[in-house]
Amino acid sequence: MSTSAESTGVTQRHLPGDLAMWFFILAELSVFAILILAFAVTQALKPQMFSESRLLLNTSTGLAMTLSLLTAGLFAALAQEQVRRSRSRHGAVFLLMALLAASVYVVLKLTEYRHLLASGLGMEHNTFFTLYWILTGFHFLHVLLGMFILGWLAERCRRGLYDANTRSGFESGVLYWHMVDLIWVMLFPLVYVLS
Amino acid sequence: MTVSRVLLVCWAALATLSVCTVVLAHVGATSLLSIAILLVAVGKAWLITDGFMEMRHAPRLWRRLMLSWALVLATVVGLTLVSFR
Repeated sequence: MSTSAESTGVTQRHLPGDLAMWFFILAELSVFAILILAFAVTQALKPQMFSESRLLLNTSTGLAMTLSLLTAGLFAALAQEQVRRSRSRHGAVFLLMALLAASVYVVLKLTEYRHLLASGLGMEHNTFFTLYWILTGFHFLHVLLGMFILGWLAERCRRGLYDANTRSGFESGVLYWHMVDLIWVMLFPLVYVLS
Repeated sequence: MTVSRVLLVCWAALATLSVCTVVLAHVGATSLLSIAILLVAVGKAWLITDGFMEMRHAPRLWRRLMLSWALVLATVVGLTLVSFR
């Protein structure tokens, strides 16, 4: 797979965004890795409870949430490409589309939370749901922060504050969203699928 | 291939692999299928890392760090689940 950068012979390796954002991302990934491992170890200790509890979750809803997050990631990446071409207004449009796709995740997640609470499957129901609420709730908060960042970037793009030469802050914001996606693709099979 | 097209191909692959995850789960619940599901998750994580985050153009150390996160996590999760069976 070759890109325009490769086809023009650009060989110098470059880390997108700010270095500080990358250390922040590594820290976040470490925290989620610990939570995901805690979930896996507890599942190994209580396989019967986890299998039965997992049946109370809707895998199709999990898949729909995955697709909405990935679609938001695609639009955020396309917005970044527009900013690199100094077409920040186009970038703002793509970011709004990313926000729309991310909103689908929020609606689905809140519907799932409401359904679980109505069924008495709150945090104290059993160990599976304690870890489910901690893990998905913590991720949900990251999605909300990511949406706030995308909205903020969209507004700055609309005002033409980013272009090909001043885009480091923009790239850092978009990287945060991709990190949220990255965590979800590991979280989704563990919470919704693996038995 | 333009950058936009690369991103679209990544997204299509990610969507397909996501559907594969659910299909594999419906096939059964064996150790082999669990490993396959985890491998699919690692593949998706790598697509996001190299495609969306553009780590394919990043310094090798950072790229390896990011790619290894999903691989190490999936390996430990897989070993945990399989060893307790």
